[in-house]
Amino acid sequence: MEKSGSIDSLGSKRTSSRQPSVDSLSSTSTSRSDRSAQVKPSSAISSDSVSTSAEFSPELRMKPKTPAKVLRDSDKEEPQLLPNETVQDMALDVTYFCPFIGALRGTVTVTNYRLFFKCMDREPTFVLDLPLGVVSRVEKIGSASSRGDVSYGLVCKDMRNLRFAHKQMEDTLRKSIFEVLMKFAFPVSNGLQIFAFEYGQVFPENGWKVYDAVSEYKRQGIPNESWRITKVNDHYDLCDTYPSTLAVPVNIPDEELKRVAAFRAKGRIPVLSWIHPESQATVTRCSQPMVGVNGKRSKEDEKYLQAIMDANAQSHKLFIFDARPSVNAAANKMKGGGYESEDAYQNAELVFLDIHNIHVMRESLRKLKDVVYPNIEDSHWLSNLESTHWLEHIKLILAGALRIADKVESGKTSVVVHCSDGWDRTAQLTSLAMLMLDGYYRTIRGFEVLLEKEWLSFGHRFQLRIGHGDKNHTDADRSPVFIQFIDCVWQLTRQFPAAFEFNEYFLVTILEHLYSCLFGTFLCNSEQQRLKEEIPKRTVSLWSYINSQMEEFTNPLYVNYSNHVLFPVVSLRHLELWVGYYIRWNPRMRPQEPVHQRYKELLAKRAELQKRVDELQREMTNRSASSSSERPGSPTRSITPVQTFV
Amino acid sequence: MFSVKPTKPTFKCYLPPVQTDVKKTIEPPIKKLEPKLLPGEIVVNEANFVRKCISAESSQDDLWGKLICTNFKVSFIPQDAPPKQKSQLSHLLLGEHDIPLTCLEQVVTVNDTKGKKKVLGSNKKLKFNPTELILYCKDLRIIRFCFDEAGPESAKKVCLAIGHYSHPADLQLLFGFEYQGRRYHESKGNNPFPGERVNGSTPRGGLQTPIFDCSSDWDRAIKRTGASEWRVCTINENYAISQSLPEFIVVPVSLADQDLKQYSLFFIDNRIPYWCWNHPNGCALVRMANISDPLQQKKIEQRIYTAITKSHPQRSEIFLSDVDKCLPNIQDIQTAFVKLRQICVVDPFEESDERWLSSIENSRWLEYVRAFLKHAADIIFYLDGKNASVILQEEEDRDLNCVVSSLVQLMLDPHYRSLIGFQSLVQKEWVMAGHRFLDRCNHLKKSDKEESPLFMMFLDCVWQMMNQYPAAFEFTEVYLIVLSDSMWIPLFSTFLFNSSKQRAQYLMDFAKNKAIPQGEDKVVYFPPVWDWLQQFTSKDLTLFNNPMYVGKGAACVQNGEVKTFRRTKQKTYSSTMRGASTSMRNGVKGAEDTLPRRSSLVSELKSDFSTVKDESPLERFFRDWFSRPADQQGLLIPLFMPSHVALWKLFFLRWVPEACIPRGGPIHTYHKLSQLVDEIELLQSQIRQYKGPSPSSTPLPSPGGPPFNQRRMYFKASSPHDPPTPPDFLTSTFPFSPMGNLCRRSTHGTPISKFLNGARIWLSTETLANDTV
Repeated sequence: MEKSGSIDSLGSKRTSSRQPSVDSLSSTSTSRSDRSAQVKPSSAISSDSVSTSAEFSPELRMKPKTPAKVLRDSDKEEPQLLPNETVQDMALDVTYFCPFIGALRGTVTVTNYRLFFKCMDREPTFVLDLPLGVVSRVEKIGSASSRGDVSYGLVCKDMRNLRFAHKQMEDTLRKSIFEVLMKFAFPVSNGLQIFAFEYGQVFPENGWKVYDAVSEYKRQGIPNESWRITKVNDHYDLCDTYPSTLAVPVNIPDEELKRVAAFRAKGRIPVLSWIHPESQATVTRCSQPMVGVNGKRSKEDEKYLQAIMDANAQSHKLFIFDARPSVNAAANKMKGGGYESEDAYQNAELVFLDIHNIHVMRESLRKLKDVVYPNIEDSHWLSNLESTHWLEHIKLILAGALRIADKVESGKTSVVVHCSDGWDRTAQLTSLAMLMLDGYYRTIRGFEVLLEKEWLSFGHRFQLRIGHGDKNHTDADRSPVFIQFIDCVWQLTRQFPAAFEFNEYFLVTILEHLYSCLFGTFLCNSEQQRLKEEIPKRTVSLWSYINSQMEEFTNPLYVNYSNHVLFPVVSLRHLELWVGYYIRWNPRMRPQEPVHQRYKELLAKRAELQKRVDELQREMTNRSASSSSERPGSPTRSITPVQTFV
Repeated sequence: MFSVKPTKPTFKCYLPPVQTDVKKTIEPPIKKLEPKLLPGEIVVNEANFVRKCISAESSQDDLWGKLICTNFKVSFIPQDAPPKQKSQLSHLLLGEHDIPLTCLEQVVTVNDTKGKKKVLGSNKKLKFNPTELILYCKDLRIIRFCFDEAGPESAKKVCLAIGHYSHPADLQLLFGFEYQGRRYHESKGNNPFPGERVNGSTPRGGLQTPIFDCSSDWDRAIKRTGASEWRVCTINENYAISQSLPEFIVVPVSLADQDLKQYSLFFIDNRIPYWCWNHPNGCALVRMANISDPLQQKKIEQRIYTAITKSHPQRSEIFLSDVDKCLPNIQDIQTAFVKLRQICVVDPFEESDERWLSSIENSRWLEYVRAFLKHAADIIFYLDGKNASVILQEEEDRDLNCVVSSLVQLMLDPHYRSLIGFQSLVQKEWVMAGHRFLDRCNHLKKSDKEESPLFMMFLDCVWQMMNQYPAAFEFTEVYLIVLSDSMWIPLFSTFLFNSSKQRAQYLMDFAKNKAIPQGEDKVVYFPPVWDWLQQFTSKDLTLFNNPMYVGKGAACVQNGEVKTFRRTKQKTYSSTMRGASTSMRNGVKGAEDTLPRRSSLVSELKSDFSTVKDESPLERFFRDWFSRPADQQGLLIPLFMPSHVALWKLFFLRWVPEACIPRGGPIHTYHKLSQLVDEIELLQSQIRQYKGPSPSSTPLPSPGGPPFNQRRMYFKASSPHDPPTPPDFLTSTFPFSPMGNLCRRSTHGTPISKFLNGARIWLSTETLANDTV
């Protein structure tokens, strides 16, 4: 065997990125190990964290003005406030019952954005920094105990529960800090404004400009001879949950679209999501047809679907993927809905994908939380996980998306995707299929476009599903549909580690700010509402924050292969629980992405060596140039990357 | 109608390989299908027009060809060999369709039309003509041949031959004894075999791995670890004391040979306690068998403890770990492995997916993996945290102790995480310590009760460590798998014997029989597996190299301080820390100092967070360690929460076609990392060239770097000519291919297939074996 050496690390100061200390609980899955001096202390983090770590600071790390502060922020009682963030109340001597360490005594600060707990008796200082947006409910637990403590429990949307206690107020008239917190945790219920409308941070890039429907369709080659862009929904008259810009078959005039809209639930007519650049096979999305118990038909709808099929010359068939289990689809007939009968739609084949509804998913995630938080039971881990059915649901969604992608790519056949309303399961399916089919969506900007398009513009009801600032935690409209989608994306990144430009931290960050209410991106239920509320004008986009520090979110292993269609293996043999998200609060969790860390170290090493080779080359060229003048110094040579030598 | 060679009842039939010419062929130019034979290998039986099944769904990819049984392997030679799959690991001694006879777990013949099946063994008869032959392999492959076009007689005979020759009556009948003799003599002449390397004048044929069959290897180990209070003892030379210990063992300086001889009488198989490893703090890791005489137990133990304590610089206390009490036994491990194998490769893919997680759990394999990792980590606490020497005690000290002892050393000592170091660890703690490889592998298929995949358990534990600390090991998971596969190739001395003594005896007889000159080194005439060039080209061996490895040369600077191997304890906890005052128990005690199980707190608000458990010193030790960044060249403790222990997919699923991710899998990470490291090494070699002795003489060094075949990385630096899409061969099973290696009978097939599936072939070997057809 050859003697094998090793590449030692260049960035040796952090040879390994390890998880934070058990006691410090700097827990968010994606501990960044590069804690540069410029990094501002945490602010938007919804994490228990040491105050010196600033993993989730939405403030830019590129401000060179603030050198390492002599006075550590951890020495202060208060958090570093964001622009327009104001302290509402403060209480000393509050006990936080950390499920991993035990009881901690410290100070609580409540602002209009966050809850901030700090325990100074410990080294390193223990800090809990929680955006109020993640709070799902606040409850007083029991009555005052014998010791005179009042106890409060916080159930959070991000897979954790917190518990505090403090001494009964002597002045009974004074409001407890948790009553103050109640007010600011649920601004919508209390007639207040969500913090995103106040947060005024300016970023170098304006994330609201990331997505423009017309240019995205243009990127796909639309309009073309078969598809046109219609402005029929310009004022959201056709469908108030759809975007204003829609792509439809060329030969269906706007007047007919209106009649089709009458036959589709909530007026959500079939429109183009994606078109294959070569075969012209398309992915179109819509809501269920209003068939009802009597089996109503619509000539216009039938003609419309025929037009979608005809737009693709390669195939004389159309696949309709109904995301629901067939039983559910049939049950919808009672409510006037239903599915396309194969009699009415001659060349169409209907396939049910057996994905369950939002209520089943909510229940599944609730069970998952029981299994992973705060601690994992030593025995029966896998069967407990199985009993939540979470991964099974993930599997069904991915399997559906895979079937869609396969029909379009391998079968060159156009597909129509719908569920009941076409804004939950349909969004999951079309966006996942597009992620498999089109490498553009696997870049950071492309993924942002995908979310803006398939989720935000097509009316996934974020406000209802998440319940921003709303205290009604039992609302049956809440459901982790979007979390599930991001989980599916993470599963894809696990199977194809070099196919995505973004890393796990990117996905976690999106979910963090899904709840934080710091950015306007996930507010409201539809494009129309967002326009009415002037969200782009009055709030900051999450993409402003992300795109202003892209390297944080970049997967170093990314290779931009063209025409690379991903066909994941949709089996529990490969699907895993996303530990880095669901179990990130547990300080015993696995260190994240040591491979990426090592890769970055090696990249730095290569850069350094390349520099030295260039220097030596220059030196050599100069020397030979001075000795024999016929050789012209060729500086171009020295910048030739090493790859070309091989 | 088909000429078939008669099977002889004895294994050794030295008939020359007869050219069984298939007469009156239908198609004019039939290619002669010649098996590739090794020196000493002979064809025992063969059948033509055999179909090898490739896919369960359809037969369109199936291959037609000749099925051959030799005294070494089952070989299939396809009529129209499909183009060899690119960049697949290719074995120098085995073809793509070859299976060594020792790799066969079960040979099953089936007659589909009659609905009959029979498991074949030695000297079996077959009352029906088989339509199908299914070979269940120890490396988890399932290979199927169909005889629909083959002559029924020749099909029957080749099946019987495979059944017979896969059950050798004697160890000497394993093919290695024939092959290595021929190879030795032929290598003394010229060098006729491809891949064979002429042994130079370097001692032991250039093998760098210490074998621990001589006192100097032990001396070096003592020196390396600074175990100055320990010495090499020679009382077991010529196995005078113990039949299963090596000839040289390391013992406390304070014990005289005379005492040791006396003590040895009280231990099972006279296995006196012996040293494995020394911690830089002076603690020792010692292995020991049980004391057979209960009356003497206290007395002997006391003397042993005193001697070991004396060998500790601070005379620190001793911790005794009774591994039998804390860990699953060998049958448990075997049962778990059989169940897991059933789930992974036998059970129909789709149907088993729904209950996949609970099935994995029910097999208990991962639970056992965790138990071993956890136990080893507990030992670390005593050695590293409490500065106490540890004695690992197991009844015979030949099974569980091998796993625990090697895992402890792997966690504590980065030397063992290098390739050579790892091989020496296996040599020291398994081969020399007398792990019964022959019985545990069940090479002779004598007793299923003795069979147990302990070494696999160890390799899985190593993989778990690797998975958690990907930069800490010089080698890759491919290396671990190739090592496990080598157990089933009977050509290397490593896995064939139960003890050092047995090895010595067999090899002595072998040398005599094969006229190998006296005094010739065993390592040269019957090499261990560590001589990897026996099996693979040096290019393929680069798949063993981990591009992420942070080796010895790495500066492990953290927070401006150079870390030494020993971690310094600088952290103190404030008084508010709970449980800091838990009293320590002292003295020798059982190993039950485990983490108290935390009660699972339900998410609702009722749960009482205030009762966080008191922390044990052990727990505190772990927490303390995990709170600091890990030094790849220092102590590494695996995380062992249930969610940290994963199924080793490449090993368990590499043959499963449905589980293969096209153009996906972790190999893409390896691919990218290897390319980057290759670039780095090219740059380094360029710099070396610039800095060469006389720079003026070589104005501009050639930028090509080291010759292609000397490069350390399997994947070379990328070039602009690389394809715009990821290469097709880079699937999640790379460098292995499921193609034709796992072919389950489809469930919706013939009645017999249902019957076979219901029979759970691997679960009920015995009932099937008794089954007469």
